Amino acid sequence: MIVLTDIAKQYGRVRANDSISLTLEPGRIYALVGENGAGKSTLMRILAGHTVPDSGTIAVRGASHARLTPALAASLGVGMLYQDPLDFPALPVWENFRLGGTARTRTEVIDKLGELSNHLGVCFLPGEAIASLTVGERQLLELLRLLDLGATTLILDEPTTGITPEQKRSLFGLLTRLAREENHTVVLVTHKLSEALEMADAIFVMRQGRLVSTLETPCGEDELVRLMFGEAVDRAGDVPPVSAPQTRRMVLDRAVFAGPKYHLGPLNIAAAPGEMIGLAGLDGSGQELFLRGLCGLDRLAEGGLELDGRRFERNDFKTLHKAGVHFVPADRMSQALFPDLSIREHILLAFPDQAGRLEDFRREQCEGRFNLRAHPDTPAKSLSGGNQQRLLLSLIPDGAPLLLMEHPTRGLDAGSSLQVWEHLRERCRDGATIFFFSPDLDEVIEHSHRVLVFYDRMLVADVPRAQATVETLGALMAGKNLEAWHAA
Amino acid sequence: MPRSSWLEQTLWMLAAPALALALTVLVALPSGAPPLQTLQVLLLGGLGSMSKFGQVLTVFVPLMLCSAGLLVPFTARLWNIGIEGQVVLGAIFCTGALMPFDQGGPAHVVLALGAGMLGGALWALLAGLLKTWGRVHEIFSGLGLNFVAMGLTIWLIFGPWKRPGVASMSGTETLDVSLWLDRMGRLASSWTALALAAAALLLVAVLLTRTQWGLGLKAVGQNPKAARLFDLSPRRRMLQAFALCGALGGLAGAVQVLGVYHRLLPSISSGYGYTALLVGMMASFRILPVPFICLFFAVLNVGSIQLPLQLNLDSSLSGVIQGLMVLSVFVTQGLRAWVTRRREGC
Repeated sequence: MIVLTDIAKQYGRVRANDSISLTLEPGRIYALVGENGAGKSTLMRILAGHTVPDSGTIAVRGASHARLTPALAASLGVGMLYQDPLDFPALPVWENFRLGGTARTRTEVIDKLGELSNHLGVCFLPGEAIASLTVGERQLLELLRLLDLGATTLILDEPTTGITPEQKRSLFGLLTRLAREENHTVVLVTHKLSEALEMADAIFVMRQGRLVSTLETPCGEDELVRLMFGEAVDRAGDVPPVSAPQTRRMVLDRAVFAGPKYHLGPLNIAAAPGEMIGLAGLDGSGQELFLRGLCGLDRLAEGGLELDGRRFERNDFKTLHKAGVHFVPADRMSQALFPDLSIREHILLAFPDQAGRLEDFRREQCEGRFNLRAHPDTPAKSLSGGNQQRLLLSLIPDGAPLLLMEHPTRGLDAGSSLQVWEHLRERCRDGATIFFFSPDLDEVIEHSHRVLVFYDRMLVADVPRAQATVETLGALMAGKNLEAWHAA
Repeated sequence: MPRSSWLEQTLWMLAAPALALALTVLVALPSGAPPLQTLQVLLLGGLGSMSKFGQVLTVFVPLMLCSAGLLVPFTARLWNIGIEGQVVLGAIFCTGALMPFDQGGPAHVVLALGAGMLGGALWALLAGLLKTWGRVHEIFSGLGLNFVAMGLTIWLIFGPWKRPGVASMSGTETLDVSLWLDRMGRLASSWTALALAAAALLLVAVLLTRTQWGLGLKAVGQNPKAARLFDLSPRRRMLQAFALCGALGGLAGAVQVLGVYHRLLPSISSGYGYTALLVGMMASFRILPVPFICLFFAVLNVGSIQLPLQLNLDSSLSGVIQGLMVLSVFVTQGLRAWVTRRREGC
């Protein structure tokens, strides 16, 4: 049994954890829910020994500690599975499995891995390189490694991001077995309420650094939402209808995009003004290359690209940029912003012709439309994720005909996400065509007129809104039912 | 929030020179030199008389030109180590441009200065092209090209451009006096050279802090990927930065030929390119401290000539002190960041 008492942690003026007390009992599954920035990760990092709390105690099986180190936490049986698996892609499965454990020979390691896999009903080839596994498989391996190290309390940070619905089911099945049969404690950190309700025996709800409630399941989703966000959240309405579905804004004609690692195509797609098109696919399935190719960052090897009736044989980035094609990558800080340059400097770089009336223009663009109230001299690296995305959106000129968004709400809290979607819909109403990718299928379904599904570096399906359900898309993303879909 | 008091700021500023001083004494002690007297000789050797100050200025000018130049590529986070070779090429082009003339006037001097800038710029573009299109890191290509430039000088001095009858390390034939830069009275330095150095600093300062081009260059340095998305043509901008820096380096080489040695020597650059890199590092590539550090380094360089004469110490001590100063600045900066972090308790 683990008892956290009055845990507090402050970063500058932000109280990440504000006197949190909770108890974790063996054999139970807990969910820790809350918005981004609610303090979930800080609390779990304290439990795993990666962060030192300012005050409070952590009692594990009766022994009380003021702070843990990663080694101490591991010896007490606390194991943490991070959102991005902490493994070494260049090493084979068995070497990754051995990491952190005692010195053992290859045979011993492989025997142990086999024993554990067998016991838990999974399968690994010891000699295979990690790089060739899917995210889901890498998570499972990491989980086995933690169990092998003697973990009895398993913390999983957003484990279902980037894995297929089917992998999710097998992961959840495994976690349930570990809790029920082996008496392990499982803590699921998530912002997806459906998962919390489905899996957990008890749900901890955090908001602004505080533990606002502990709910025993079953409980109502409405109550959970209210606790998480404090007040009723407006859901975005339905996507606005496409005004002129027959007009062709963008046409790909037998287009082949050549990325650094693979080719994608030939693609034949047309999109109308005002259309929002979601892209679904597991990491590396081709949707990244699709967006990068469309804006000219990756080469158009064959075929043609047409924009508002103008045909391009080459997808030169500069030409397309001038024609109004804008790409917003998911990794905003490392790919789209200049960390030490201020908001004002970003505006000046994006709109050099506004230099004369920069301050007025900035106010209209950032404050008027996006409520981006940070001081204009704030460097981009000090902006919150939401403000970074607001800044990037305000750098796209009005009337840009084609927007390519890679996970537009990555790292944003619910309020900011809603604002981003409202803005994107506004642009669609004004006639922009938007392609966006999100690893969250619910989000893709909620905001698209149709969904393009990518699997194994191919575009495998173009699913209209009416048929786009988690089951259909999930199966297609995993390469299942492709024939059935195409026959239908 | 790191909001340190005025007193604390000053103490940190003084920490670097104090550390450098302590380290210098530590280095000088084993050779039996009295530390205080060593420092005195160094400073007086550079500032003791007007003629010595004139010499300081002749060192200051090329150092200033190179340092100002280096600020430009560094804004794009490019380390133009090749500046040394660019100085040499400037000297070579300058000498080459004057080959056909036995004597001349200001027009010829201007031509020679221009040729020097061209030579430096072309040599820098070579490193720039290797960086932007050949994926060769500019530090490696720059270093390589420095050696090529040295080889080229020696080949020219002993081959095509050798003095009639004798080929020696003392260089090519001396230029006619009419092709020399002007002199400040009886001092070794020249007003033209000093004006060029000042103009270079001003140009670089305005370019980097007041223009859209400078902002774009800064953006390219911060994040080349984002610069691509902003349509800032990162490659073209990097090449321009290399060319500008090379031109200023080349100008320094031309000034060395026209104003100091009046001929091409094997060691025409006197290592000023490398020293300028130290200046840039010590200034953390901010513009304001650069002229002061250049002047200080120039004093040390000239003052160290007195060391063997008065204290029987090797004149390389000035280089040691310059290196120690840079190290001290880094050490205190690191220490300060560490202390601040500790205090915030992250």
